[in-house]
Amino acid sequence: MPTDPDPEGFVAIEGVRYRYDAGGPAIVNGVDWTVPRGAIHCLLGRSGCGKTTLLKLAAGLLMPDEGRVRVAGAVLRGPAPRVGFVFQAPTLLEWLSALDNVLLPLSLKRRPGPADREAARDLLALVGLADHAGRHPAALSGGQQSRVAVARALIGGPDLLLLDEPFAALDALTREELQDDLLRLCALRGTAALFVTHDIAEAVYLGDRVAVMAAGRITHSGPVALPRPRPPGLRYEPAFAAACRALREAMDRGETVRERAA
Amino acid sequence: MSARLASGLLLLALLAAWETWCRAAAVPALILPPPSAVAATLWGEVASGRLWPHLAVTAAEMTLGLALGAAVGLGAGILLAESPALGRVLRPYILASQLVPKLALGPLLIIWFGFGLTPTVVVTALICFFPLMETTLTGLAEVDPARRELFRMLGASRLQTLLRLKLPAALPVILAGLRVAVVLALVGAVVGEFVAGRAGLGASIIAAQSVMDSSLIVALFVVITALGMVFYEAVRALERLALRRYRKG
Repeated sequence: MPTDPDPEGFVAIEGVRYRYDAGGPAIVNGVDWTVPRGAIHCLLGRSGCGKTTLLKLAAGLLMPDEGRVRVAGAVLRGPAPRVGFVFQAPTLLEWLSALDNVLLPLSLKRRPGPADREAARDLLALVGLADHAGRHPAALSGGQQSRVAVARALIGGPDLLLLDEPFAALDALTREELQDDLLRLCALRGTAALFVTHDIAEAVYLGDRVAVMAAGRITHSGPVALPRPRPPGLRYEPAFAAACRALREAMDRGETVRERAA
Repeated sequence: MSARLASGLLLLALLAAWETWCRAAAVPALILPPPSAVAATLWGEVASGRLWPHLAVTAAEMTLGLALGAAVGLGAGILLAESPALGRVLRPYILASQLVPKLALGPLLIIWFGFGLTPTVVVTALICFFPLMETTLTGLAEVDPARRELFRMLGASRLQTLLRLKLPAALPVILAGLRVAVVLALVGAVVGEFVAGRAGLGASIIAAQSVMDSSLIVALFVVITALGMVFYEAVRALERLALRRYRKG
C-alpha cells in the first residue's frame, strides 16, 4: 500500500464495466468515480440503472470485466477489508440478539472480548438502541433493525461504508432520523460513504457530491452546495428544494440522452 | 381449553357408540372387540408387567433408528448442499434407496444382522433418513442470498458460513423434517418388528394375531398410538426450545 494517503481519492473506480452474462448488456458501462477520505457520495438513479451493481463492484463482491476498483490504493481482488456494507434489507440473524448481531463481524475473526462488547454497546447507544441490546430482531421494529444493521457495519471502525438503499423500506420520519444518525456517525468517525438511493431528497441531504446514473453510465455529477453540518430543518429550506429540482432536471436530461442513444 | 374438552368428549362419544354397537349387534369379539374388553386386556397387560419390556424395546428401536437416520440424513443433506456436483452424482442412488420397499429389505437384513433389535433399527433409520436429508438440503439451499453476501463481505470461511449462517437459518425447516421423521420412526419400528422382531409392540401384535386375540391387538394399537404421541410431543418441545429465539418477544 502506498504511503501517500491516496491522492486520487480513497475509493477509485476506474473505467469499470460489468455484465452478468457474457453476451448480455453491460449493467455498468464504463464508470469512473472517486470518493475522497471522509466524504459522503450519493449515487442516484432509477431501479435497474446499475447502481447496486456498481456498489457491489466497489465492495469487491463482484469483479469488474474491465477496469479496476482501488480502495486506499490497493486494487480489489475480493471483498474489501475495512469496509462496512449495509444492504437493502437489514439482513440481521434472527437467532442472535441485537448486541451479538453488531458483534458478528468481529466474532467471525476472533472471540469478542469485553472491550468489543463495550464498543458494540456504544454503537447501539449511538443509534438510540442502548436499551435493546438483548432483544432479538423479531422484537425490533423495521427502523430499529436498520439501526442495528448500521451499527454492525460500523463495528470494526471501517474507513468506508457502502450503503445500498438501506432506508428505502422505512416510513418518512424514521428514514429522516436514520439519515441524521448516519451523518452524525460518519462525521464523528471520519468515515467515507458511498450511498446508493433512488430518493432525490435523500441524496441531497446526505451527499457532499451526487452522481446520477442511468443505463449503466454516470450521466451527471456535481457537488451539493449545502453547508455542513446539516440540521434536520434544512430539508424545508428553499436552497434544498432548489438543489433537488436541479438534480431532478439532471435525471430527466440523463433519460433523454439515454433515449437518444437507444 | 374448551377445544381439548370438546376433543375429549368426542372420544367418549365415539367409544360409547362403538361399545353400544358391539353389544346391540352382538359383534363377535374376534371381529371387533368392544372398548371395555380392550381396556380390560390393556389393564391386564399393564398390571401383569408383560407390556413394559415390549414397550421399552419399541421405544429403544425408535430412539436409536431416529437418531441414526436423522444424523445420517443431516450429514447427507449438508454434503449434498455444499457439493452440488457430488449431489448430482449421488442423488439417483439416494432416491433408489428410498424407493426400495423397506419391508422387502427385511429378509436380507435378517440374514445380515439376525433377528432382534439391529434389523429393526436399520429399517427405522432408513425411513427417517430421507425427510431429514430433504429438509436439510432445502433449508440450506434457501438461505437468503443477501445474508450469504453479508458473510462474504465479512470474509467468513466456508465452514463459518455453514455453521454460523446456513445451519441456524435452516434450523426451522430441518426441525420440521425431524417432526415428519418421528412419525415415520414409529411406523419403521413397528413394521420392522413384524418382519424381524422377537420382542416389541409390533412383534406382540404378530404374537396376538397367531392366537387370534383381537382385543390384545387393539390394546397394542392404543399403546403404539400413545407412544407415538409422546415422541411427537417430545420433538415439538425440543423444537420450541431450539426456536424460542426465532420468534417474536
